[in-house]
Amino acid sequence: MISLFWENLRISLGSIFGNKSRSILTALGIVIGVLSVTLMGTLISGLDRTFEKSMSFLSRDVLIISRMDWFGGDMDWWELRNRPRIKEDYVEQLREKSQFVAAVAPMAERGGSIFRGDKRIDTRFFGTTPEYMATNESADVITGRYFTDGENRSGARVMIIGGDVADALFTDEDPIDKYVKIGSHKFRVVGVLKKQGKFMGMFSLDNQAVLPFGTFQRLFSRRGWMNVRVKVNTDNYDEAKEEIYGVMRQIRGLKPMEKDDFAINQSATMEAQYKAIKLAIGGTGLFITALSLIVGGIGIMNIMFVSVKERTKEIGVRKALGATQSMILGQFLMEAVLICLIAGLVGMGLAGGLSLLINQFFPSSMPVGLAIGSIILSVVIGIVSGLIPSYQAARLDPIDALRYE
Amino acid sequence: MADLISLKEIKRHYDVGGEVVRALDGVDLIINPNEYISIMGPSGSGKSTLMNMIGCLDTPTEGIYEFEGELVHKMDDNQLASIRNRKIGFVFQTFNLLPKATALRNVEVPLIYANMTKNDRIEKAKIALISVGLEERMHHKPNELSGGQRQRVAIARALVNDPSIILADEPTGNLDSKSGVEIMKILDKLHSGGNTIILVTHEEYIADHADRTIHLFDGKIKVDKKVTKKRQVST
Repeated sequence: MISLFWENLRISLGSIFGNKSRSILTALGIVIGVLSVTLMGTLISGLDRTFEKSMSFLSRDVLIISRMDWFGGDMDWWELRNRPRIKEDYVEQLREKSQFVAAVAPMAERGGSIFRGDKRIDTRFFGTTPEYMATNESADVITGRYFTDGENRSGARVMIIGGDVADALFTDEDPIDKYVKIGSHKFRVVGVLKKQGKFMGMFSLDNQAVLPFGTFQRLFSRRGWMNVRVKVNTDNYDEAKEEIYGVMRQIRGLKPMEKDDFAINQSATMEAQYKAIKLAIGGTGLFITALSLIVGGIGIMNIMFVSVKERTKEIGVRKALGATQSMILGQFLMEAVLICLIAGLVGMGLAGGLSLLINQFFPSSMPVGLAIGSIILSVVIGIVSGLIPSYQAARLDPIDALRYE
Repeated sequence: MADLISLKEIKRHYDVGGEVVRALDGVDLIINPNEYISIMGPSGSGKSTLMNMIGCLDTPTEGIYEFEGELVHKMDDNQLASIRNRKIGFVFQTFNLLPKATALRNVEVPLIYANMTKNDRIEKAKIALISVGLEERMHHKPNELSGGQRQRVAIARALVNDPSIILADEPTGNLDSKSGVEIMKILDKLHSGGNTIILVTHEEYIADHADRTIHLFDGKIKVDKKVTKKRQVST
């Protein structure tokens, strides 16, 4: 059967390259189909990896107590608006009342600019305590140091800057112990944070500056956005979350029938939301791109019918010379599969190239599994769309076929 | 000597628009090894149907067809393909070569379906082409060959599997008389070499090459006679 395989391969290649423009047009449908499917898959997997990487700033054992849920919920906006602020004394209350707190830190936040000479960067300021480091695994000081409890209490003018801030203000210098300004206030840089990259490719996690909480409160008004980060000391996140809900309700003095007027967010919340979005985008996208593959398959089927018709006489001769039905079937199936395979490889190559291009703007990379999958997919399309025409060829009556002009 | 081919009460009826066409209507025929037979008859007499029947391209509506003891009328498509491949060599009026393949590859085709390895295939195909005098033209494609040369490629292709019988359907019908003479010389030579040949023709002088002539009329054998004055091809 091996000699037959090579013969069929040779016939198919002869037929495909003998009708170049026809083959190219036919293959184009599959090229576009495979291209869009692999590109879609590439983007989704890029999204996945980015999400995972982005989520590392939020470990699974960290709960974030905020005024709002990250993702809507079913509350009306005016109710949300009237929720009381998160206050800094919750930190100590939580530490006292909850048995699951491993570390807890306030996290006040606002936007602003840092100046150094004629250089300036617009950034986010975070006011927190030294304990913050224990609640954020991905926040790491690579040069210099973190601020101390003493500096926090005394409101010392020190700050730790993110990588982007360091790059913007200190081109070729070591930032440690250099001075920068927020408004008219001078600050000493004591540390630089390790780079974390962009969150979902959208905004940089490295464009930030961390100030001692006391300093932050003195510098800016107390009215600002604030969260409390709690790192729990157990693997049973649900139990811990449940208990902290109770503690928070107690702190807020809520009656049993009253609704929560705060939110506890965690990475799982974001993950669930992300999965829903991914399913929607991915599902719709793959469905639409799969349609283009089906259209491509129809094109293949159409051209295979033409090919069978054109070569009716040849089929008759081959049958007279002893070709069985399955041999003829194999010959035409091979042709269909070969067109699809070549088209699939071209489509995959284009998708690979394009994903490199897109990677400049949005993180994307083609996974090996997807590449192999798209090749298998194009072979399957070849088989499916080639089957009926090939079967028709195989079933031709040799006498009728020989007489065909 | 055992019969090579035995047809008993062979009928082949077609249903054409509700009307039954009796292309073969009770044909009895015994063909022995190394016979040289011509089949003649007017159009519509059933020559082609008989040829297709003997060539295992068609199966009878009724009757018994034995080929070297194998019951052809009971065979399925795959068995028919196999018997065509191993035992029958076809030579067509219009040559029916594969246009994009060289002479050598055309001759190789039956061996591919016989699942022969590449080296054996090429060797056998070359021998067949040499036997029809085409050793110089093996790597030419059909459109680079003359009509006579094309028909010789077709004969080589018919020979290459060492078939039990060669069926030639108007082999000179598309050729000028000089090429026709060459082709008939090759067929005569194959016959003297021990091959069994059946020739369909409507030319008397072609039919005269055979030892036995069968005349068909309305799907029945009308005349089946030995040729006494055998014409020799002048050289």
